[in-house]
Amino acid sequence: MEFSLAELNAVSKSYANTPVIKGVDFSVRAGEIHALLGGNGAGKSTLMKILAGLVPASGGQVRIGGQPLSPATPAQAQAMGLYLVPQEAHIFPNQSVLENVCVGLPKSAAEYRTRITDLIAQLGVSLSVDVKAATLEIADRQIVEILRGLVRDAKVLILDEPTSALTPVEVDTLFTRMRGLRNSGHGLVFISHKLHELRAVSDRITVLRDGYVVHSADMADSADADILSAMSPGVTTLSARAGDKQGHADKAAVLTLQNMSGEGFVDISFDVKQGEVLGLTGVVGAGRTELAETLVGLRPRAAGNVTLDSVSFRAKSPFEAIKKGVVHLSEDRQQYGLFLEAPLFWNTSSLVYDRLPFFLRTRYERKRFDTYRTALGIKCESPDQHVGSLSGGNQQKVLLSKCLAAEPKVLILDEPTRGVDVGARNDIYSIIEQLAENGTSVILISSDFDEVVRLSDRIVVMAGGHLAGELPSGASTDEIAQLAFEAEETAHA
Amino acid sequence: MLEWIARDRVATLFMVTVGVILAVGAASPGFLSLGTASIVWSNGLVLMLVALGIFPVILTRNIDVSGGSVLGLSAVTLGLSVNAGFAMPIAIAMAMGAGIAAGALNGFLVAVLGAPSIVATLGTLGLFRGAMLIATGGEWIEGLPENLKALGARSFAGLSVMGVVTASIIILLWVFLRSRRGRWFMVVGDNREAARHLGLPVKRIEFLAFVWAGAAASVAGITFASQIGFVPNQAGTGIELRAIAALVLGGVSLLGGVGSVAGVVIGVIFFTSIDTSLVFLKIPAYWNDLIGGAMLLTVLLIDGRLRIALEARDRAARYRRGEQGGPDLKNAEDAA
Amino acid sequence: MKKYLMRWEVLLLGLLAIELVVFGLINPRFLYPSSLLYGTSDFVQVGIVAVPLTFVIIAGGIDVSFASTVGLCAITFGIANFFGMPLAVSILIGCATGALAGVLNATIIQLTRLQPLVVTLGSLYMFSGAATVLSGVVGANGYEGIGGFPAGFTALGYASIFGLPMPLFVFLCFSAVLLVLLHATRFGRLVFQIGQNENAARHSGMPVFRVQLITYVMTGCAAALAGLLLSAYFGSARVDLGSATLLPAITAAVLGGASIYGGKGSVLGTIIATFIIGYLQQGLQMSGVPSQISSALSGALLVLVVALRHGVALLRDFFPGRLRQSN
Repeated sequence: MEFSLAELNAVSKSYANTPVIKGVDFSVRAGEIHALLGGNGAGKSTLMKILAGLVPASGGQVRIGGQPLSPATPAQAQAMGLYLVPQEAHIFPNQSVLENVCVGLPKSAAEYRTRITDLIAQLGVSLSVDVKAATLEIADRQIVEILRGLVRDAKVLILDEPTSALTPVEVDTLFTRMRGLRNSGHGLVFISHKLHELRAVSDRITVLRDGYVVHSADMADSADADILSAMSPGVTTLSARAGDKQGHADKAAVLTLQNMSGEGFVDISFDVKQGEVLGLTGVVGAGRTELAETLVGLRPRAAGNVTLDSVSFRAKSPFEAIKKGVVHLSEDRQQYGLFLEAPLFWNTSSLVYDRLPFFLRTRYERKRFDTYRTALGIKCESPDQHVGSLSGGNQQKVLLSKCLAAEPKVLILDEPTRGVDVGARNDIYSIIEQLAENGTSVILISSDFDEVVRLSDRIVVMAGGHLAGELPSGASTDEIAQLAFEAEETAHA
Repeated sequence: MLEWIARDRVATLFMVTVGVILAVGAASPGFLSLGTASIVWSNGLVLMLVALGIFPVILTRNIDVSGGSVLGLSAVTLGLSVNAGFAMPIAIAMAMGAGIAAGALNGFLVAVLGAPSIVATLGTLGLFRGAMLIATGGEWIEGLPENLKALGARSFAGLSVMGVVTASIIILLWVFLRSRRGRWFMVVGDNREAARHLGLPVKRIEFLAFVWAGAAASVAGITFASQIGFVPNQAGTGIELRAIAALVLGGVSLLGGVGSVAGVVIGVIFFTSIDTSLVFLKIPAYWNDLIGGAMLLTVLLIDGRLRIALEARDRAARYRRGEQGGPDLKNAEDAA
Repeated sequence: MKKYLMRWEVLLLGLLAIELVVFGLINPRFLYPSSLLYGTSDFVQVGIVAVPLTFVIIAGGIDVSFASTVGLCAITFGIANFFGMPLAVSILIGCATGALAGVLNATIIQLTRLQPLVVTLGSLYMFSGAATVLSGVVGANGYEGIGGFPAGFTALGYASIFGLPMPLFVFLCFSAVLLVLLHATRFGRLVFQIGQNENAARHSGMPVFRVQLITYVMTGCAAALAGLLLSAYFGSARVDLGSATLLPAITAAVLGGASIYGGKGSVLGTIIATFIIGYLQQGLQMSGVPSQISSALSGALLVLVVALRHGVALLRDFFPGRLRQSN
């Protein structure tokens, strides 16, 4: 048995009498990548925050390098050789990269300069230490976080969903770096929702559910089905789309884009037919989100024509777009979608606020919410509950209810299943299918090629701001990847 | 040019200040003299001290609007203890002690209890004023001794003792903010959660910023009392607003993390030289607020529009280059 | 949320009752119906600006310029009257000035995308400066202000309707309208949602700027109303009529439950808080505390409220179990 760099013994944690972690054992050995998986609310993040000293445990022991973590503060954990790379890199936008890495170290930043340039060279990235951090891309921000860990001589690095905002190319580079760190004797904890990524690099896997460890074994000994059933009992595979995916070719196009250009995309043409699910895919940064935001008037359109039901369509604001039946759901639900402190039924009404009577009739609104609550399977206590108190999957369903209330002709869903656990994901898939069956045209923007293949009637691939190609239903993920990446490489060349 | 104006606020403001001074000099001969410079400096001392005090608080993304009342409270503490027969050093120490205690209360409310700083310090603005009025019974304090007034009188080379003290405080703060610990103040304002994550004592830093503001306001109170020789009830009223206006003018962002001591100094000098110029131009004093306010709003308007125009240009250039980074751009928009 | 709000307002009512009892014990004259009723004329102007200010704060903004707008509107009204305009026209000019002040604030905030605090700080100066200059134009002295109003107008300040003093009556009607507007209409819903998440509001197609503009204009108009009432009450329009409302009005909004971060607040809370603050000042004065001190002490009340609210939240984090059981 190898030496444990960090371990948790029978750790538990409660918030306001609600236990969220219930006697969990967990360890990281030198020279291994330990995968940590679990649905939303399973307690992964809390567990790692306890290990990193950000949250005090209610019971049990935390040991780093064989010594108990005391006092339980992030500074102490870092001093003992453990660093948590958070899901969203913590950046000081107005400081240089050098300052960003060195904040909190015992000496002034200038003394670490050579050390950090060496580390950057070792990681094989090109990053100037003097640029202002505000200008960094997401991937480089993550490098800053990893540098912070390395310069603190951390033997244990915890990576909390590091891949969620990376392009596949960047993910591969990250994995290479992770393997390099493992080979030099570091211990890594890798958190992700994506099973195939975990499988690609991890040595061991631990699955959490409801604050318990429900599965812990070597990666090689764990079949996908075991892991999935451990995460959410009753689900062994993601269910495939039931209905047939053909028969839209003869239908009329509802929304047609001709040579549309704008911020971050050039010369895009495609159409969506009635009752069709059009997958719009590509890697992050391919220009899909910008395209969607331009369609609904959040960004300026530079060129091109759009027709809706054969009538020229141009929305100056989301308000006009919604009026005309084009509804867009942003990928960032916390920031651009939900009113977290507002009751559920307010959220459901928020796209159609102008159709409400001047003197509100909340009983009617509550009733409408209850209809969606049953239809979409939203788990909640009452329509007056705050959205913030729901789980990620249920929040996403509330957002869908808000879109449905607007009775869209064309519904644009940007990454509707990001950060949603497997169970809720299946529910959302069937909602999308239902919608299409009822005649709504859906544009599904997603970076998850499996998801696109499973749901789409047709697939449009974008890369580097250009239209890379169109594939029929039944195309394989490999075909999509080829279009998405090849074009990417030529664009970069 | 456009770019330079927007990006280097300190230099721009410096040029504008010089321009204004030259223009006034052309209109009113005799304005351009060392004597005027010394007047501007000493007229600006109180504002300068309050602004230097609030500056670190704003760097940490909080705000302190209680400065004027802390100034009054310290001035009253000084006056009462001097008139009660305490020796000058002890009286000054007591005045500073009052300021520091006031700052500590602000720091406690914001850093320890987690109250929003604007609300907490608005409250203490009234509280400290009330405490001051209770201490004086609503009377003005007059008859301050000569050795106190001597601190504020311009003696050697047109500088007063307090003028020299203020200059040293400027240098001290400048040096400190460049040090490792000094940067913590900016870092906390830039991203509080990140600072906490990296093990910085965030609450202690915020607390200390408020204590510093209290201490600086108390020095301002001492300067105020020594310069005018008595302490009226309304001593310091509204000066915190002028100080914040000067800070914003000097390029300090109320969103925290951005600003420089040089900017603060120039901002204050700009404000003071406008007031002094009005006197030279024989414009009645009641025009001061209108001109000052209109000027502040104009500067904010021009500055804001320039910043937005530059951002739009950067953004367009970025898309032309074909660089992708949707989420980044979104952040940039939000910051605006 | 509703439950929470109701609890807070009930708590405020309790606080008001305790306050009345305590001052009544110190000085029984305080509780005479006539002094309770007519005493309100000294502080309802605070409530008149605090209620629309609550809208501004809920929608994610803040306005501190109203303290000068009160004086500015009074002065423009006084000047119009001075030059012989009919009373109705003069009143209209005063109100229009307030509305314009609100438009100016909202427009600059929108154009510069700066924090509302900075912008309204600037206009706080400018408006009081403008008022000073204007009153200088007609040669009015700062302390006496512009007088010479028609007798009918000054009588309004002391008139009573349905047994209520005129200023109190105006305040109650005004805030009743705003109470319905905030809590029962589509506009009020927009105010809340824009304050809770401006980005999401924009993505949902809500008219963010228009709603914020209306809240600032409402505050400007309310400041004008307060300025007119005060002019009638004192018989002259002065520059500094509103300067004493700044702190109490913000205190009333925050004490009433408005969150400075936006998205939370209630008109009823602000109304009750206005009475708490007003009667506190009055009670202190009747107990022999000089008026200057008693008005400064509304700041102490704000500090106390803030400390209690956040202190309790902090304690709840430390002792989660115990508090939960006791609830």
